[in-house]
Amino acid sequence: MTVAAGIGYALLALGPSLSLFISVIAKKPFLILTVLASTLLWLISLIVLSGVWRAFLPLKSTTWWPYAILIITSVGFQEGLRVLLWKAYKRLEDILDAFADRVSKPRLFLTDKMQIALAGGLGHGVAHAVFFCLSLLTPAFGPATFFVDRCAQIPFFLVSAQIALAFVTIHTFSMVIAFNGYAQGNKVDQYFVPAIHLVAGMVTLVNFASGGCVIGIPILYLVAVLTLIHCGKMVFRRLTENRSRQGNFQ
Amino acid sequence: MAQNQRPTSILDSLGEEIIRILTPVSICMFLVVILVSILNTDSSSSPVSSIATIAYSETNSDSSWDKFVGALLNSLVFVAVVTVVTFILVLLFYLRCTKFLKLYMAFSSFVVLGFMGGEIVLLLIEKFNVPIDIVTFLVVLYNFAVVGVLAVFMSKVAILVTQSYLVVIGMLVAYWFTLLPEWTTWVLLVALALYDLAAVLLPVGPLRLLVELAVSRDEDIPALVYEARPVTNHDSDSTSNGVIQRRVWRERRNVSPDLANNMNSSVSNSNSVGIDHNDTILAGAEEGRVVEGNAELSAPLLDHRMTDNQHRQEDDASSESLLLEGIGLGSTGAIKLGLGDFIFYSVLVGRAAMYDFMTVYACYLAIIAGLGITLMLLALYQKALPALPVSIMLGVLFYILTRLLLEVFVVQCSLNLVMF
Repeated sequence: MTVAAGIGYALLALGPSLSLFISVIAKKPFLILTVLASTLLWLISLIVLSGVWRAFLPLKSTTWWPYAILIITSVGFQEGLRVLLWKAYKRLEDILDAFADRVSKPRLFLTDKMQIALAGGLGHGVAHAVFFCLSLLTPAFGPATFFVDRCAQIPFFLVSAQIALAFVTIHTFSMVIAFNGYAQGNKVDQYFVPAIHLVAGMVTLVNFASGGCVIGIPILYLVAVLTLIHCGKMVFRRLTENRSRQGNFQ
Repeated sequence: MAQNQRPTSILDSLGEEIIRILTPVSICMFLVVILVSILNTDSSSSPVSSIATIAYSETNSDSSWDKFVGALLNSLVFVAVVTVVTFILVLLFYLRCTKFLKLYMAFSSFVVLGFMGGEIVLLLIEKFNVPIDIVTFLVVLYNFAVVGVLAVFMSKVAILVTQSYLVVIGMLVAYWFTLLPEWTTWVLLVALALYDLAAVLLPVGPLRLLVELAVSRDEDIPALVYEARPVTNHDSDSTSNGVIQRRVWRERRNVSPDLANNMNSSVSNSNSVGIDHNDTILAGAEEGRVVEGNAELSAPLLDHRMTDNQHRQEDDASSESLLLEGIGLGSTGAIKLGLGDFIFYSVLVGRAAMYDFMTVYACYLAIIAGLGITLMLLALYQKALPALPVSIMLGVLFYILTRLLLEVFVVQCSLNLVMF
C-alpha cells in the first residue's frame, strides 16, 4: 500500500528474528556465519525441490491433494537434510573442540552448542520468511494492495506475513530441539521435530477451503507455540542438569 | 569454579575477520539494490553508450540469439580493452612510474566521486524534488569528492572514513554498470570472471606479473583496495586460527632477509570505464581483483599452529611454512579485497534486482558463499587468488535457477497459502 505498509509487513514476518539476531547472534561472528550457511542450505533445498516439481507445475488450484503430496515430499526432503546437517555439525563440533584445545581455551559450552543450533534454525526460518513472504512483498510498496480469493478478509501480504512468522518460530526452535535430541539420543525429540514440521505444513492446506485461513492460521500458531513450549522445557531441563552436574564438581 | 566468571569461549571471536569483510560487501550490494530500485523504474530507458557497447547495442526487438551474439562481442571487446590496459599498467609499474600511477588513480577517484556521484545525486534530486540550489550543490559535491580522494590515498584519515569512501566508490561504479543492457551485463560478468581466472593464475597473466613484480620489489601496488580493520588479538594467541575458515597466512620470504614484508599478494588492475551520456571519455576506475591475505601471527604460535592433522591438504603447506618461519614477525592480520570485486558483485546483485527481489536474495547468498569458498581456498593455497570467478559463477547459476525454477514454485505455493 505504501512504503510504510511494505516495511510493516516485512517487520511482521521478520521482527522477532531481527531482535533475536541483534541480541544473541550479532555479537558472535561465528553465529552470523552459521546463519548465512543455513540460509544458503535451505535455499539450495528449495531449489532442488522446485527443480523436481517444475515438471508438474502449475498445479490446478482447485484440487488439494497434489499440494498434499508436494508438502509431504518437501518436508521429507528437508527433514532428511536436517539429519545430514546434524552429522556435519558433529564434525564441526569436533574440529572446534580440537581447535579450542590447541589455543588452550575451554571447549564448547552447552550454551555455545545451543546457540549454534539456534543460529542454524534462525537461518532456516529467515530463509523461509524471505523466500515465501518478503520476495512477494514488492507490490506492497506501491499504492495498492492485493487480496486472494480464498482468504478475502485480509490482504494477501498480511496473511503471508503471519504464516511466515509462525513458520520462522517453528523452524528456529525445532532446530534446537532436534540437535538436542540427536545429541542425547532422545527419541521423543528426534521424532517430534519432523512431526511438527509435517503437521504445520499440512495445516496450511486448510487454507484451501474458502475462508479456511480463519481456522488454519490459529492452528498454525498453536503448533508454533507448542514448539516454543517444548523447546523451552527441554532447554531448561538441560541447563539445570548441566548446572547441577557442574555444581557436584565443586 | 567457572560459574560466575566464565572464561571466554572460542565462539566469541571465531570468524571475526570474515565478518569484517562480509559487512562492507553486503552494505555495498544493499546500497546498489536500493539505488537500482529507486532509480530504474523503467527498464527500457535510454541505453548508455559506453565502451562496453561499442560492438553492439541491444534493442528490444532482436531475437535471443542475436542478443547473445551481440553481448558476446561486446564482452570480448571489453575484456580486450581491459587486458591491454592492464598490460600498460604492468609496464608502467615495471618502469617505476609509481608517482604517475598514484596521480592517475587520484584523478580517477575524483572523477568517479565527482562526476558519477554528481549525476546520481542529480537523478535523486530530480526524483524526490529536493529543493537545493546549484551553488550549494557544487560546493558540497566538490568537498565530498576532494575529501574522498584524500581519504583513499592519504591514509591519515580515520579508517572508517576510508572504508566508507571505498564502499561509495564501488557503489557508484557498480550502479553505472547496471545501466548496460541486460544480456551484455550477464555475458560481461562471466567474461570478466574468466578473464580474472586467467589473468591471475596463468604464468603470462598480467595480474600475476604485477603481483610478482610488487613482491620482488617489496612495493605496494597503487590500487584501490579495501582493507578490513585489523583484528586485535584478544589474548596472546592468534585469533586468525579459525579451523573451518583456515586462514593460516604465510609470509612471503624475499631474497633479502632483513625485510619485514608481510604482504602476501595484492593485485590491482587499472581498468578504463567509459561512461558518459554525451561522449565516451575514458574515465579510469582502478580495480583490484584479488583477495589477499595479509596477516601474520606472532612467532611462538607458528610452531603450534600446524600440528592439526585433520586437514590433510594443509600438511604440505605446513611443512613448507615451518621451514620458512624462522624469523617470524608478528603483526595484526587483515583481509584485503580489491574494489573491483565489490563492483562486480554489486553489479550482479543490481542486475538481479532489476528482475525481482527473489533473485536478489538468491544471488546475494550465492555471492557470499562464493566469497567464503574463495577465502577457504586462499587459506589452503596461500597465494594470489582471483576473487571473482567462484562468486560470479555461483551468482549467475543461482540467478538462472531462481528465475526458471524457484519463482514458479514459490509463487504457486504462496498464492494458495500453502507453505512449509
